[in-house]
Amino acid sequence: MAAVNGALARALLRLFAVQGSYNYERMLGVGVGVAEEPLLRDLGDSKYRPAVARGAHFFNAHPYLVGLAVGAAARAEHDGAAPDQIERLREALCGPLGSLGDRLVWAGWLPFLSGLALAGVALGAGWIAVGVFLLVYNIGHVGLRWWALKAGWTHGTRVSVALHNPVLQKAGAVLGPAMAFAVGAALPLTAAYLSGPFDSWARVALAVVAALSFVALRLRGDRLNGLRLSLGLAAVALVVAVLWQ
Amino acid sequence: MILPIELLLALLVWGTLVGVDLVSLPQMMIARPLVAGTVAGAILGDIPTGIKLGVVFELLQYDILPVGAVRYPEYGPATVAAVATAHASAGVLGLGLGALVGLVTGLLGGVTINLLRRVNSRIIHAAAARLESGDPGALVRVHVGGLLRDALRAALVTAVGLVLAWLARPLLGGALSVRGAVLLAVAAVATALAAGAAGTLRLVGRGPNLAWFAAGLGGGIVATVWLR
Repeated sequence: MAAVNGALARALLRLFAVQGSYNYERMLGVGVGVAEEPLLRDLGDSKYRPAVARGAHFFNAHPYLVGLAVGAAARAEHDGAAPDQIERLREALCGPLGSLGDRLVWAGWLPFLSGLALAGVALGAGWIAVGVFLLVYNIGHVGLRWWALKAGWTHGTRVSVALHNPVLQKAGAVLGPAMAFAVGAALPLTAAYLSGPFDSWARVALAVVAALSFVALRLRGDRLNGLRLSLGLAAVALVVAVLWQ
Repeated sequence: MILPIELLLALLVWGTLVGVDLVSLPQMMIARPLVAGTVAGAILGDIPTGIKLGVVFELLQYDILPVGAVRYPEYGPATVAAVATAHASAGVLGLGLGALVGLVTGLLGGVTINLLRRVNSRIIHAAAARLESGDPGALVRVHVGGLLRDALRAALVTAVGLVLAWLARPLLGGALSVRGAVLLAVAAVATALAAGAAGTLRLVGRGPNLAWFAAGLGGGIVATVWLR
């Protein structure tokens, strides 16, 4: 039991670097193989190397939930599942783990807490709001990584059971509205905070340029993004500023 | 911008950590501009400037949803460079110049991330036979190599950002009137707000969450008016 816990702890630590060799050929595959390797060490010599090689094949999913696939594949190797069954398990997990993680974390937990932090800063909480954001975010982050690895290791090839965990379903249902509300509330507060040092004419200009930029991004979001628009408008502002001395 | 060498080194180390955190290790969100900017401000003894630039780039970050292999700018080291620029120029001039330097650094960071992934692909392709043999040593070496390349990439991006910060004040600061500096700051802040709103609406979609977004927006407007 202690050996398993030690191997799980090592796998968890390695999972924090699962995207370290991110590439367009195997995506997260090599990182997944590195994370899975401690869980495979007690396989016999004839099984260990083929299992390590399989672990490093193509894989792509949300990085915080990759542990589910790592744990499940390692458990399947221990249970003597056929190699093609393990490959199919990995392939089957890519899509669900990607979409679930994107919905829960990138489109939920992260922007929700970021919105709260922005509102906190705008209301004068300063670095404390930033510190609380970092702390609370990482409680969820580390908890999700650990749960995913444990659930994968517990369920093995029946890992789809874990994906139907009611807590995940509930979190997904709550985080969407919470994120929308938090960022919605943060936007006007942040606008007031950032425009604080501006004169009245500059505030009017800010409102007009922000509105036009928003429309441009909504209408031409396929070609335009925030960076391109910001750089373009900054270049225009520089030219106007030099001419309007 | 003339900073003591120990502060420059501290900013370089911080920018590198921030750059590595974005994708490679450990994704604990010190790469978020709000965090990167606040700590960069603390290093310079100027937390308010760090937070202000952090807020600008945090809004721009909403424009990005890092799903799959999507390409995106890198705003962490960019925010560090922006704060270094703004620290040297007080008030609105600092905000505008800082944002400009940060945007250019963010663009560069995004390009290098794509480049690194291509380099990693070639190296992993070349190591395919060793990886298929199941040699754990080869596997770890390939992976750690990727991590080290990302650290080098992040350090280079931060260093270029700090050079831009050093050049911005003498090259642009002197050429800009107060009005010009305000215009630059307005452009940066306005597009950040627009990108934040547009990016959030993309996440929210047209479903029931749109009502929650509207409710939040209304609440935020009421709070803003009430606090004035």
